[in-house]
Amino acid sequence: MSPLEIGGVIGVVTILVLATGVPIAFGLGIVSIGFLIIFDGWGSLGIVADTFFAGIGEFALVSIPMFVLMGAAVASSPAGKDLYEALERWLYKVPGGLIISNLGACSIFAALSGSSPATCAAIGKMGIPEMRQRGYPDGLATGAIAAGGTLGILIPPSVTMIVYGISTETSIGRLFIAGLLPGLMLTCLFMAWSLYAAWRGGYRFALTDVGYSLRQKLEVLPRVLPFLLIIAGVLYVLYGGIATPSEAAGVGALFCVLLVVVIYGLFLRSWSPLRIWDILGDSMRESVMILMIIGASALFSYTLSSLFVTQSIAEWIADLDVNRWVLMAMINVFLLVCGFFLPPVAVILMTAPILLPIVTLAGFDPYWFAVIFTINMEIGLITPPVGLNLYVINGIAPDVSLPTILKGALPFMLAMALGIVLLCVFPEIATWLPDAIMGPGI
Amino acid sequence: ANVTLKASHQWPGGKGDARDEMVQIIAKEIAAADVGLEVQVYPGASLFKPKEQWNAMVKGQLDISAFPLDYASGRHPQFSATLMPGLVKNHDHALRLNKSPFMADIKKIINDAGVIVLSDAWLAGGFASTKNCILGPDTMKGQVTRAAGPAFEQMLAGAGASIASMPSSEIYTAMQTGVLDAANTSSGSFVSYRIYEQVKCLTEPGDHALWFMYEPILMSKRSWDKLDDAQQKALMAAGKKAEEYMTEQAKGLDQKLVDVYKKNGVEVVKMSAEDAAAWREIAKMTSYKSFSENVPGGDKLIEEALAVE
Amino acid sequence: MDLFVTTVRRLSQLCGIVAALTLAAAVLVVCQMVVLRYFLNESTVWQTEFTTYSIVGATLIGSPYVLLRRGHVNVDLLPIYLPHRARLILAFVASGLALAFCVALVYSGAELWLDAWQGGWTTDSIWRLPLWIAYAPIPIGIGLLCLQYVADILCLITGREMPFGLEQGDQP
Ligand code: NA
Ligand code: NA
Repeated sequence: MSPLEIGGVIGVVTILVLATGVPIAFGLGIVSIGFLIIFDGWGSLGIVADTFFAGIGEFALVSIPMFVLMGAAVASSPAGKDLYEALERWLYKVPGGLIISNLGACSIFAALSGSSPATCAAIGKMGIPEMRQRGYPDGLATGAIAAGGTLGILIPPSVTMIVYGISTETSIGRLFIAGLLPGLMLTCLFMAWSLYAAWRGGYRFALTDVGYSLRQKLEVLPRVLPFLLIIAGVLYVLYGGIATPSEAAGVGALFCVLLVVVIYGLFLRSWSPLRIWDILGDSMRESVMILMIIGASALFSYTLSSLFVTQSIAEWIADLDVNRWVLMAMINVFLLVCGFFLPPVAVILMTAPILLPIVTLAGFDPYWFAVIFTINMEIGLITPPVGLNLYVINGIAPDVSLPTILKGALPFMLAMALGIVLLCVFPEIATWLPDAIMGPGI
Repeated sequence: ANVTLKASHQWPGGKGDARDEMVQIIAKEIAAADVGLEVQVYPGASLFKPKEQWNAMVKGQLDISAFPLDYASGRHPQFSATLMPGLVKNHDHALRLNKSPFMADIKKIINDAGVIVLSDAWLAGGFASTKNCILGPDTMKGQVTRAAGPAFEQMLAGAGASIASMPSSEIYTAMQTGVLDAANTSSGSFVSYRIYEQVKCLTEPGDHALWFMYEPILMSKRSWDKLDDAQQKALMAAGKKAEEYMTEQAKGLDQKLVDVYKKNGVEVVKMSAEDAAAWREIAKMTSYKSFSENVPGGDKLIEEALAVE
Repeated sequence: MDLFVTTVRRLSQLCGIVAALTLAAAVLVVCQMVVLRYFLNESTVWQTEFTTYSIVGATLIGSPYVLLRRGHVNVDLLPIYLPHRARLILAFVASGLALAFCVALVYSGAELWLDAWQGGWTTDSIWRLPLWIAYAPIPIGIGLLCLQYVADILCLITGREMPFGLEQGDQP
């Protein structure tokens, strides 16, 4: 069998195995071990643990649980509600003001958390019930939060950018900056759609006759300020030459926990300090899930490389000799399909090392490509069968059916696709800020 | 049918890196020898992470590797002697060292672990700083420095530097953001990571280099034992060819470092014999001392290495 | 058998506690490292490795707890659309595959741990952390993960738990 044929067989077997409903980490693991034993003999068991261990034993990965923890701390407090309430007091006159406030809160929260499901949960827990109560259709309310939550991995910090940086040996700090403007662009696109949907639906809102005075508008700000300060602090630590991403993440996590304890526990007394335990538990669960997938993906990548599948696929794509934009379109479709079935970290670990050399050879910027990659992964987060954000929404609003959520989320997915097109036409959206801050790249 | 051997290393493939070239030469020679053997090269850490390669060879899961021996010093602490400051002075000295009892002892440990050496190779390196030129130990004071390996860390800390550990791939960003003032790594890494865009001054290896690292081509003993006589002979002959190539190239690599840095407007200096001797004095009190005290047979290894003229 | 299932669940919960505390410890050590390095200008020796191996340890030790809470994400498209009996069979296949992987990882991990123990392997920093400590979470954490899977399979056989946590009437 040629390596490409072996690759095909591995692909089919992987789909069959994952279809049984086995956890993705263990499914990828058993497929890898199976093929290693078949082609390299039983001796290959000798390096399974080593490869898995080395896959997660990397200092840069330490930032993943830390950035998840940052988000979880804030999510456990009423900060999410404060955030969109503050925004709403300023935006209440705009049609669909509440939904726009929620999207704004998602994007600000995304700057605190490295994870999309965490962002989705933090804002959605309060935002979805509130929106539904005020008469927004279920689909729009849940779809907006599902999509808004995906900003968690585009607006820095980002768990997936960290994994991309490690697996392609690109600078994590630079990747973070590259995601910032595209993240704001997507936020604007999402808001624009919501505005249109609210206007077209002619939704009337209970609160339109209850104006807010300037005093009411100002008094809500102090509760949001500390978190904005933390965001600014982490950005300063990252780009002011103070510390590496892992270190900034650790300090940010500790500050967020302390801040939540101080503001909501001691000052506002609306929060029990015992919930630190829940925060730790929740972030541990999400991190373990992500890191186990990372370990198993390391094993899977090893298998593909060892059987020369990776190299043959790369050669095959390079030999296609198509126009660079046709190539980019093909890669996008490929990533989109991967994103349907696999969580972002798994897709990145398995495909980024193959794709990046091809993409850079075709003259694309590696940091720009990271953004394109990430937006594809964002779409994957809200598509079945594996959509981490869909699970979160299902937990918050179990009575809203999956098709309703999907219908509500579809326009936002199209907005993301539009975002990708815009980035292709104006690559500067992703490359200008890193160049301006860090100078032309390595 | 042909037996396929897997050869792995961490450097870019097909871009002229000397260590990649060594492995490619072995692959070509083996193909030409026509002994039913084929070498498949996995460059750029595309198969194993750099430090995983040792265990994979011991287990027979990896056949050949271009491997910086110090990476396995957690398994065999004696290997730290092959990245010990000031033990190797220059490339000619390295060639004499290869034939000494020091290397005989090191190779015995390699062999006992289940690995054999196909080609010897020593690579030089230097220092670079964003502040002032690094010559004698007093020029190092107060600089936040990335060192290559613990032995260098101990010596530099002994000279008053503040140490920040990181892989060589992070040096550029760390200097750019100001986390790092100075770094110590191989000539090849100084060029390939484009550190010249960040630094003011480079200390080239010259005749009194402190930084030398043993990066041989190794082979798994388990894989070796499965081969027949003709195949083993062909591999050894190919290894010799690769070694000769490296001997020729080694000095050229350092020259390339100097050329690239000068071209980019970086000041380039060399250590004098006195500078190097002063560093060696500090090493005696720090890294040599700790190596002799903590590593079985460490004393003898240092003595044997220093005895080579 | 009840005793077995209950004991395993308790162990998995204990794992969750240990993993969460390890994560907290890693956060504190990172912060301590930042203070030492950037404010007191001192060299840091053990912090990088400590946090790295803590997070690896927390991941491996935490995995049985995450399984208990059904936190390991999976593709549940097929199970949702299948009738109960087929769903049950699929659950056995899935658990069997996962268990096979975990057993292989435990075997390989135990071998690695033993090599590190007998060979006196350490990390190659100045700290020289014995690697058997760093590797120990593989056999321990994944070993308990195996037990949790065995307990899950037993619960499936006895009908104490529904496959994939889906009720018999659960259809989309
Ligand atoms: Na984020
Ligand atoms: Na999906």
